[in-house]
Amino acid sequence: MRKKKVGAIAIKSFALLVVLGTAYLGTANQAMAQEAKTPYPNMAPVDQYLMTDQAAEIAMARSAAPESIARDAEVLVLGRHGFETAVKGKNGFVCIVGRGWTSAPDAEFWNPKVRVPMCVNAAAARSYLLRITKITELGLAGRTQTQTDEAIAAAIAKKELPAMESGAMCYMMSKQGYGGDAIPHWPSHLMFFFSDTDPATWGANLPGSPVFAGADPVEHLTQFVVAVQQWSDGTEAR
Amino acid sequence: MTRNQIHSIFLSAFVLVAVLIATRPAAAQDPQQPYPTMAPVEQYLMDRDAEIALARSAAPDAISHDASVIVLTRHGYETAVQGKNGWVCWVGRGWMAMFDHPEFWNPKVRAADCLNPPAARSILPYAYKRTELLLAGHSKQEVIAAIKAAIDKKELPTIEQGTVSYMMSKSSYLTDNGGHNGPHLMFFQTDKNDTAWGANLTNSPVLAVNYWYISAQSYPQLKSFPPLSVFLVVVDKWSDGTPAPSM
Repeated sequence: MRKKKVGAIAIKSFALLVVLGTAYLGTANQAMAQEAKTPYPNMAPVDQYLMTDQAAEIAMARSAAPESIARDAEVLVLGRHGFETAVKGKNGFVCIVGRGWTSAPDAEFWNPKVRVPMCVNAAAARSYLLRITKITELGLAGRTQTQTDEAIAAAIAKKELPAMESGAMCYMMSKQGYGGDAIPHWPSHLMFFFSDTDPATWGANLPGSPVFAGADPVEHLTQFVVAVQQWSDGTEAR
Repeated sequence: MTRNQIHSIFLSAFVLVAVLIATRPAAAQDPQQPYPTMAPVEQYLMDRDAEIALARSAAPDAISHDASVIVLTRHGYETAVQGKNGWVCWVGRGWMAMFDHPEFWNPKVRAADCLNPPAARSILPYAYKRTELLLAGHSKQEVIAAIKAAIDKKELPTIEQGTVSYMMSKSSYLTDNGGHNGPHLMFFQTDKNDTAWGANLTNSPVLAVNYWYISAQSYPQLKSFPPLSVFLVVVDKWSDGTPAPSM
């Protein structure tokens, strides 16, 4: 599996905080054990990845960020072939509910229960989100994780997918959702996206550092994670 | 008081967190201008070893142990410890706040800060320039003009991507207000407005200020400076790993 070759355990955007965070090593071990068992070897029927209640999916997507941000954000919902615009926004932010292809540890690539809300800012919508939507389309088309990884790497090499824009970041502060069987819910956090940046540049993953990060040289993507003290509704998260 | 009200009244990069945790106003003589002029320079200086220790306390030891440390002298900052990881730790003084900040000349401010390599290369030169000119006795107007000239001549660098600073010291004194301190990270971006990160909105964990000014009314030339926003995210632990108060 390519992502293991780059030294990460399961560097998908949402696995990062838990897998790398020393406070969650126990959970990480569970994640690795789950990964070894490959509990979801194949794609489930497409319907299992969809949410039948579009209003519920919109609400869950918006819950990733405080209402002051999410209420004016564009919202995408998952259709049979990929994400579709359900609500036009006006502040540049875009909110979605990620599925297992993009939002869970590698072993749960096909886990149909994964629902992870995120709101990306405009810079990330023009860069990072394009990868998420592309991976999702490939997943819905039944491509394996290896095929998906190869397709994304090729698209980046051909510049069909852009580098990360300066200031690309996202909110993941929802109380809702399901991160997967190994890590059912992610701590409230922010993520920051860079191309080809050494995690050490931010002091990430060092003892006592509040910053966690993973770098994928194939995707030329470095993701930094910073936990925050509140959920999107303002209630305390620690 | 809403966050936006707080934002418009107080904000500076150093005092931001303390403002949010303020429980009572400062007992200042004049709330508008508690520190109208520079204090005697001695009041801004520290014991060298204590300053090195305070500077390093801004970040976890895993970072600051190998960082360079600079300390303040009568004429500016000088390197006290040569590091090897590209980070630079220092103790900012009140004048590193915006030029129109009411605590600009507060001699009690001791803002421990560790800058990552991109910030050390691109933010620190501005701090050096500002500090040296002010300690040499130049007025704020003169300092602003000199910095603008240096920017125009490209003697000062453009801000790099990925600039981060750690301000997680338990021992900083950031402001006269409230608890005086709070652990946080700062990110420097050349964005023209705060909305890019959803900062300063209700329940947003991201706060933002203009690096140069609060209102720029007193120093209108600052409006012609390159845009530079400071984004701030509060973290839940001090650099020594102990939990910080919830903000």
